[in-house]
Amino acid sequence: MQKIIEKITKKKELGVFLMIIILSALITMVNSSFLTLDNIFDFLRSNATIGIMAFGMLPVLISGGIDLSCSSVISLCAVVAGYMMAGNSGMNPVLVVCLIMLLGGFMGLINGVIITKLKIPPIVTTLGTQTIILAGVLLYTNGMWISGLPQWFIDFGKFQLGSIESAGKLTGLSTQAILMFAAAFVTWLMLKYTLVGRGIYAIGGNRRSAMRIGYNVDRIEIFIYVYAGLMTGLAAIANISIVGQVDPNTYLNYEMDVISVVVLGGASVMGGVGNVFGTVLGVILMAVIKNGLVLARVPTYWQKVVMGLIILITISADVINRKREQAKLVRVDVEE
Amino acid sequence: MNKKRWISVVVAAALCAGSFPTAVMAAEDPYKIVVMPKLTSIPYFQQTGEGAEEAGKDLGVEVIYNGPTTADAAQQVTMIEDYISQGVDAICVAPNDPAAMQSVLQRARDAGIVVLDWDTQADPSLVDASIHNIDDKTFGEHMMQLLVECMGTEEAEYAIVTGGLSAENLNTWIEYATAYAEENYPDLTLVADPYPTDEKQDVAYSTTQDLLRAYPDVKGILGFSTPTGPGCGLAIRDLGLQDEVSLVANAVEDDVQDVLSDGALDVGCLWSCHDLGYLTVCVAKSLLDGNTLEDGMEVEGWGEIEVQDEKAVILGPPEDYISPESGVESDVAAEETEDTDAAASEEAAEAETADDTAEAEDAEAADTAEEATDAEEAEETAE
Repeated sequence: MQKIIEKITKKKELGVFLMIIILSALITMVNSSFLTLDNIFDFLRSNATIGIMAFGMLPVLISGGIDLSCSSVISLCAVVAGYMMAGNSGMNPVLVVCLIMLLGGFMGLINGVIITKLKIPPIVTTLGTQTIILAGVLLYTNGMWISGLPQWFIDFGKFQLGSIESAGKLTGLSTQAILMFAAAFVTWLMLKYTLVGRGIYAIGGNRRSAMRIGYNVDRIEIFIYVYAGLMTGLAAIANISIVGQVDPNTYLNYEMDVISVVVLGGASVMGGVGNVFGTVLGVILMAVIKNGLVLARVPTYWQKVVMGLIILITISADVINRKREQAKLVRVDVEE
Repeated sequence: MNKKRWISVVVAAALCAGSFPTAVMAAEDPYKIVVMPKLTSIPYFQQTGEGAEEAGKDLGVEVIYNGPTTADAAQQVTMIEDYISQGVDAICVAPNDPAAMQSVLQRARDAGIVVLDWDTQADPSLVDASIHNIDDKTFGEHMMQLLVECMGTEEAEYAIVTGGLSAENLNTWIEYATAYAEENYPDLTLVADPYPTDEKQDVAYSTTQDLLRAYPDVKGILGFSTPTGPGCGLAIRDLGLQDEVSLVANAVEDDVQDVLSDGALDVGCLWSCHDLGYLTVCVAKSLLDGNTLEDGMEVEGWGEIEVQDEKAVILGPPEDYISPESGVESDVAAEETEDTDAAASEEAAEAETADDTAEAEDAEAADTAEEATDAEEAEETAE
């Protein structure tokens, strides 16, 4: 038992984890409907889009890169999906999802190739593609919303796995939440058990030594951006299945939300650090903050202040913890 | 860098100017009127653009409808600078940031260009006319009245969802709406400050769900800014509260047909975007013709206009898109019966003068006539 506790306290995600628990307790004290299954399933659903994109962003950040274009790619994927389905309701659902993910992956491929072959820094490349893709989408759609998605897609978005009675109505795990957990699981497998996954950590830790060990660094980097694109495509499907309409302008600034969730979950923008469990906690913390502040009846103008404070406290707790550990390490070195 | 091109442009211009007598040119050249939206890429400003371009065709003036693709104040400034050097006759702008516009609008006026603002106000001292889409007070109070009517009670809790906490026009409407509620419906309680939604539909969706959990007794929601219509509506539908919670929100008509169908959104409320663009061009042309603004004056292509404070032209009463499930028969429309009647007759007159638009105008006249009869029915039931 003691070992388990020790193991948990050593984890760097502890700060985030504790914060989630403390917040949940506080919010529940104010409003008991917070900790109902109904509400939990609900905020998982509305945060699934950011969550799925976060699992695409995680490998990018671990490798020391960044992908700012994801907000435009999701807009593109959502619009294409919308036109595809609105014009042609008989389409095979599986085909739609696959095509949209491939489209996202293709955009990632473009990013990856520019970054590795032309040696342009990721932040510059993806900033460029972000602007170009969004402009293209707006040029084509004129910002018009797409509605009239087929009934099967609306039903797909409303599907619930299981039916548990909570807060007076039947509730279950939504499609979007299932997609998010699937994305988390696949990303976890990829990072932990594949050669590519270990390569991503190696590149983030030290690019040159990764190359010397024999990793094909270029190919892995291209894969990372393609993977981010695939996830963004999936996120697009999840997002439009919630509202049943496509608004190409709605995804503006999504990249900031996604990056902050991943960083909150312990990944470093400098690369080399981060894992799926942390990102899951990051998504949950952000969801709890957003949902909970409203439920706890915090006045509107204070919500952003509280949100900023919570994020600051969480991250500084993490940093302080890490510094303390490093201090210990140094002493050992000196004594030896 | 473009020296050669520059020279050729100057030469070409000189040749053109030289080859035609100036007097003839002035007579034959239609007015060039620039209409600049805050951004071009949203449905709202698409529709205003259609109206502006249609007015250009009807009045025989050249309308240039152009603006930045995102709501970018700096880009608006550079675009206006370009138009000043091109030598247009009038510039009508919906400024993203009125303060950033000041010097460039002054320069436009110095160049003898007629300057108007529309949709959002610029510095009043720098414009010749200001086209207001709505009278702010009427609009805020109108939405509040509708909400009370939809809820069917004057004793309830309600909440407000807004596009953003710093949006000037939204805040003004909210102020008028809440002030009206305090005065006329003392038993209404606003549960919290307005909830911001970043002008995003999915944020409006999740915020509405959360707030209905936080305040389960809320009976009505007022939504300000157009994404709130469908966003809040879908949230209410997904919670199955169409009959318990009333929603009155800003909305672009085409985007809310779905949520109106089952009463998730009870009443969508906005002005006619198309007419806003149309009126802007009409007023600009009238000013270029040398007219001065006056309340009740006739404007070519539009009819009589309402002018406040010398410069502010008011488009007209709000447009409502009412759900068949809402139970609203709009006695607010009854108050406006006179107005709509007047508008109908104006439109009929217009239809006579402009043959090619006759069909469309007729349809509109029919609509307003329908509204008028609805209103009469409402009066009858009220009695």
